[in-house]
Amino acid sequence: MVSLELLGTPVLQHIILAYIALIASILLGIPLAILSLYSRSLQKVVMVMANLMQAVPTFAVVAFVVPLIGIGFWPAIIAILLRALLPIIKNTWVGLSSLDPALIASAEGIGLSQWEIIRYVRLPNAYPAIFAGVKFAAILANSVAILTAMIGSGGLGTVVFEGLAGVNMMKMMSGALPAIGIALFLDTSFGWLEKRMVPPGMK
Amino acid sequence: MINRLIDPDQGSISINGTAITSIDEIILRKNIGYVIQQIGLFPHMTVRENIGLVPKIEGWSHDRIEERVKELLTLVHLPPEIFMDRYPKELSGGQQQRIGLARALVMDPPLLLMDEPFGALDPLLRRQLQDEFIGIKEDIGRTIVFVTHDINEAFRLGDRIAIMHEGRIVQVGTARDLILSPADPMVAGLVGSDHLYRHLENLTVQDIMRPVSRVCLLQASTSISSAIVLMTDGGEEVAVISDGSSLSGVVWISDLLRGGRLSGTVGSYARSPPILRPDGTALSAISGMKADGDSIALVMNGEELLGIFTPDEVLRRLV
Repeated sequence: MVSLELLGTPVLQHIILAYIALIASILLGIPLAILSLYSRSLQKVVMVMANLMQAVPTFAVVAFVVPLIGIGFWPAIIAILLRALLPIIKNTWVGLSSLDPALIASAEGIGLSQWEIIRYVRLPNAYPAIFAGVKFAAILANSVAILTAMIGSGGLGTVVFEGLAGVNMMKMMSGALPAIGIALFLDTSFGWLEKRMVPPGMK
Repeated sequence: MINRLIDPDQGSISINGTAITSIDEIILRKNIGYVIQQIGLFPHMTVRENIGLVPKIEGWSHDRIEERVKELLTLVHLPPEIFMDRYPKELSGGQQQRIGLARALVMDPPLLLMDEPFGALDPLLRRQLQDEFIGIKEDIGRTIVFVTHDINEAFRLGDRIAIMHEGRIVQVGTARDLILSPADPMVAGLVGSDHLYRHLENLTVQDIMRPVSRVCLLQASTSISSAIVLMTDGGEEVAVISDGSSLSGVVWISDLLRGGRLSGTVGSYARSPPILRPDGTALSAISGMKADGDSIALVMNGEELLGIFTPDEVLRRLV
């Protein structure tokens, strides 16, 4: 039996790892999606990159980071970020761009600037899509954060891999169960947040 | 194009003498209320937020926005307490379009641009909104550029109508100008100049009366015999009896002939017909005269005789 004190650190590490990467991909993904609305070339580059990242198996993404930036915590963050970026960018972009053209026409017609249109019209209407993207990205980040233990990120993955190596079922479980718990928590908390954030007129 | 959502390839548009391309487009648009066929209410905002968005961005206080929203909802005949906090999808098409109009008016723009605002509504509702719009138009006293494909809508709502064809303004004028003197066959076909009877509502008495220059005028002292000669020569059934400035009525040739007298003056056969104002609609003039059994009316502007109006002749001309 692995003691709880010992588990505390990997859980914390895991959460920090997954969340820093998730927050970074939100901060990077949403502005990139917004900018893509206004630049065709940027949109192409971003979409190709994001799709590519999605097509490459998660394992390969993790492995790919190593020759480029080595091993450890930050390379792991990059690997998770690359993986989590796509659902956020893609969903945000789809949400922002699939708006009824009449809404944009009337927003421009009443004299809103491009920024005001994003702020007051495009973003609120894209919330449901963005939320779905972020939720999916969070779950991805959570699972990739297990794999990154292979490149020395620490966290619950380390516990799982050690358990696997030593055929220690208890140890494997003590790594896997908290990860499952975190995933469930993420899912419900995002569901709750979505209910609160999505404007009632959209439901 | 007027609010620069599209910039012109050629030519220029000026508002009160200022070329619109020299005005910042955001400022320009804030000064032009804009209503479109698809309405374009923001689905994630309540009625209050939709109308209040631009004022909010402009930094109005909450109370001022609230007051303005209430004022506008009252103007478009939607009770504020019921509608303020509804979402667009909870409104009917007609209600949404009224909110669209209220939103366009929120900054009290000097100019209002309406792009086929009633185009997507069913005919009954369109008629109703048009009626309301006529009232609102009077209330707000603003210049409104109203785009429509429905010529009857243009006639009903427009003070001046510009006909556009292939990117050019072909003719600008009142409904009467367009009907009575179309600039080209395209306009004539569009407004139905060859079916004037359709336009009795849009034409005035003056438009279709017989002007005084083509009316047979007789002195009251004219003898009956010479009156008969004059009227038969001119092919006139009726003549107006006038003594210099004062009118004493009309005389029918049938009355003169039936009387069988050749001596005496036409004055004794004068009848006094109803008087019409020149700017009344032809339709109400005709229906009024038919109801009273009158077959002729004088068109007078104050003391001045402008012409005569006989429904039979009008119908002959129009059909």
